Amino acid sequence: MKSLIKGILLTFLTLATLSAYSQELVELPLKQSKKIIVRLMFKTGSICDPQGKEGLSYMTANAIADGSTREMSKSDIEEFIYPMAADYGVTVDKEATVFYFEFPGDFEEDFYPIIYGLLREPAFAEKDFDRVKSRQENFIGRIIKNRSDEDYSKAILEEFLFEGSNYAHPVQGYAHSVKSITLDEVKAHFRKYFTRDNLIVGIAGNYSNEFRDRLMDDMKTLPALETELPAPGKARMPKGYEVKIVTKPDAFGSAIFMGYPLDITRADDDFTALMVANSYLGEHRKSYGKLYQKIRKTRSMNYGDYSYIEWYPMGSNYQLPIAGFPRSSNYFSIWIRPVQTGEKLRAAYPELKNIELGHAYFAMRTAIREYDAMVKNGLSQEDFELTRDFLRSYIKLYVKSPAQRLGYLMDSRFYGRKDWINEADRLLEQLSAEDVNRAMKKYFKTGDFAIAVVTSDDEGRVLARYMREGLPSPMAYNNTVKEGLPEEVLAEDREIMVYPVKASYIEIQPSTEIFK
Amino acid sequence: MKKASIFLLFGILFLASCKEPEAKKSSGGIFPYELVSDSLDNGLQLVTVPYDSPGLVSFYIIVRVGSRNEVEPGKTGFAHFFEHMMFRGTDKYPPEKYGKVLKQIGASANANTWLDRTVYHMTGNAAMLDKMFEIEADRFQHLNYSEADFKVEAGAVKGEYTKNFANQFRQINELLSDSAFNEHTYEHTTMGFYKDIVDMPNQYDYSKLFYDRFYRPEYTTVLVVGDAKPAEVKALAEKYFGNWKRGHYKPEIKAEPKQTGPRYAHIRNPNFTPVLSLNYKSPAFDPESKEVASLDLISTIAFSERSELYKRLVIEEQKAYNLMGYYYYTVDPYLFQIMAMVIDENDLQYVKDVVTEKLDELKNKPVNEELLEQTKSRNKYQLLMELDDPSNIAEVLSYFIWVSNDPQSINKYYNTLMSVTPEDLMNTARKYFTPEGLTVVTVSSKEEGGVK
Repeated sequence: MKSLIKGILLTFLTLATLSAYSQELVELPLKQSKKIIVRLMFKTGSICDPQGKEGLSYMTANAIADGSTREMSKSDIEEFIYPMAADYGVTVDKEATVFYFEFPGDFEEDFYPIIYGLLREPAFAEKDFDRVKSRQENFIGRIIKNRSDEDYSKAILEEFLFEGSNYAHPVQGYAHSVKSITLDEVKAHFRKYFTRDNLIVGIAGNYSNEFRDRLMDDMKTLPALETELPAPGKARMPKGYEVKIVTKPDAFGSAIFMGYPLDITRADDDFTALMVANSYLGEHRKSYGKLYQKIRKTRSMNYGDYSYIEWYPMGSNYQLPIAGFPRSSNYFSIWIRPVQTGEKLRAAYPELKNIELGHAYFAMRTAIREYDAMVKNGLSQEDFELTRDFLRSYIKLYVKSPAQRLGYLMDSRFYGRKDWINEADRLLEQLSAEDVNRAMKKYFKTGDFAIAVVTSDDEGRVLARYMREGLPSPMAYNNTVKEGLPEEVLAEDREIMVYPVKASYIEIQPSTEIFK
Repeated sequence: MKKASIFLLFGILFLASCKEPEAKKSSGGIFPYELVSDSLDNGLQLVTVPYDSPGLVSFYIIVRVGSRNEVEPGKTGFAHFFEHMMFRGTDKYPPEKYGKVLKQIGASANANTWLDRTVYHMTGNAAMLDKMFEIEADRFQHLNYSEADFKVEAGAVKGEYTKNFANQFRQINELLSDSAFNEHTYEHTTMGFYKDIVDMPNQYDYSKLFYDRFYRPEYTTVLVVGDAKPAEVKALAEKYFGNWKRGHYKPEIKAEPKQTGPRYAHIRNPNFTPVLSLNYKSPAFDPESKEVASLDLISTIAFSERSELYKRLVIEEQKAYNLMGYYYYTVDPYLFQIMAMVIDENDLQYVKDVVTEKLDELKNKPVNEELLEQTKSRNKYQLLMELDDPSNIAEVLSYFIWVSNDPQSINKYYNTLMSVTPEDLMNTARKYFTPEGLTVVTVSSKEEGGVK
């Protein structure tokens, strides 16, 4: 452990000195590296989309990253960078848009015109715009609903939780709003929000000082910010258990996401205390969390169950959180991966032919009961130490690649920090179990969750009825599994099935009505 | 695979007669770091790549067993299921204790299974390498789970299938495998057939047999990348894996009979984007095969964002949202896959015709020398840029380890790749892009695919 910490610390000490070069520049020189990484992070994102034009920031960013420059068409660019194996693109979130470029150090000089051309002389060609727009329409109309019900339920939860605010809509917008966006609106949006005043420049790898200075000088020629950036929307506090069920006729399982607003970010020192609590309850893609243990490991209800205290981008794809998605408005959330529906259980197991409901309600009750117990009882000294020590080692893996190291340093600036990973390690070191339990009492709420479920038509109807009435939801095991379960599990099941999670509000919508 | 088996056989014979084989260092080539391969007497392969990542190490265990090895009816998906069972504890480290130790290590750890292999990986604190070896060696040799735990874990696999089913591309892959293969085990995906997944809880005895057959040193390579020395890795391997007993089992995997005509399969889904998937039977990976290297290069020349096809179908005519072509590194002959998400389902035939026209051109017109050289340069830089942290390096190397059982094959393969000529590309295209070897899968709102 010590040598890892020492290694990382040394790297960051070097950084801290060098990155004092300029307020808006973050540097990570790596002389042995074979490549150069440039990240341009604009503090703008979907919260800047005007009403009725949801998806405009996303389209603007993609019209640039997937478009032409004044000198070169999109195809010319692809042809030019082909032998270099250069990679570039953009990520767009609520409050940050990051253009990233990675190319071999051998091509420092050759590649530069692409960065310059895209950001300073974007062509905004009609043909590029049509292509980008059509792809975005396809995403919001079809892909998001047919690729991962888990990601879909997460997007539905956000809309439900941030209703009425600029945080509510998916960054890709709605089908109708995307359709209405014009090329002129994209051009104007670029001028208005992609400015020198809300930009952080990041460079990593084996680059020259000339390259860095040229990039900085050119980015200073971006227009000035002449408008105030909109304030990030806040999530509403759900009153009791508010449930939104979205139904797809052919859904194979029930995907569940639930959450409530959390008034804390990485900017706050207490955040690290909540990291420990959250890791104990449901570390992402780890088997140690209580949720995972109870729902997957003991009862084999699904593939995994996790919890979060901030946005986790593309959780289905990544084991470790990636940089470039900093947010001011956080929410606590629980992710229950798809569980079996009643119809699938009835079809697969004769002994379950008379059940009405699948596993969704029981899974929610299990998760909420675990969460409530943690908030009420706190962490023991042993659990605290184990989890804290785990995190001190684990968070360093977030920055094991140069691109992520650079990205995390830039995100640190967003939160008013210099090097959050390093600072978090120090805060974790100083933390006590009492700190964690106190922070939980202060920030975590019980009894109020917004819950989003994507499931089949049949399951959705039955689930709504059960949740509206708060009816008992016995766990439906098939015989082979049930035979081997110890009595304490079955006894706990009897408590879970009546745990008070009665919906205070329920709505059901067919999937065809979502993100229209 | 034949080549790999012969290599393995000779390797075993050599080791049996020579107690202290010398570690083999990288003989030079594209791989930019020191690459040391070694082995134990029991046949366990060791690979170490010392890399400048202070305090950080990636520890990979590659088992050359995947869904390809699932030869018995009713047992599809078992390699993957078994990967799950490997987390169910031993006498020394029951699940709770194993979980606690893993948490103490503070590593990013997981496992995954594919056609030809199962990979267990940890990336974390180099000071914990001894512990990593200890707990991994323990479960690889002394796994011990109850029948009740076994049955419970089967539910998690079903949960994984349930999660995957929402993804249209998973459904395409399932249908494709079933259509393109009739005899070879590539007929089923790594998840397995749903009916077999439902039946998994009843296969406890078979799971013991599976462990006994495949979790053996001759199927396994330990790969360490990062802040570690080859001698240290060898010593730890001796200490923890030295007593692991060699097995004897070799599955009889049926060869797929030569395909004699195009096959068509279709998924009706009015809610999804139309998809055209063209799949040509392709050769098994061989680091010295120019055909393999040619197909790899063609996937870039003909289907990257720089390609004429992409420019025409995606940029200019805007008939497709995207386009990709891919040659997979597999132990047995598999598929060269071409896929396009098509904007209007009435254009599925058109897109197929345009792609086929391009493939025909590759058969008859030599690729421009300069383009070929640029493509080689691209492949070279792509690899070098990828090798920038211990786990990325381990990921790349693990491909070569499972597919050819020889980490040094990365250098051999890139040498082959660099020697490909326009004639090689033409000959390869002629041989593999034929209607006889083609399987077409489509997705649209229509009852039938309608693509010919």
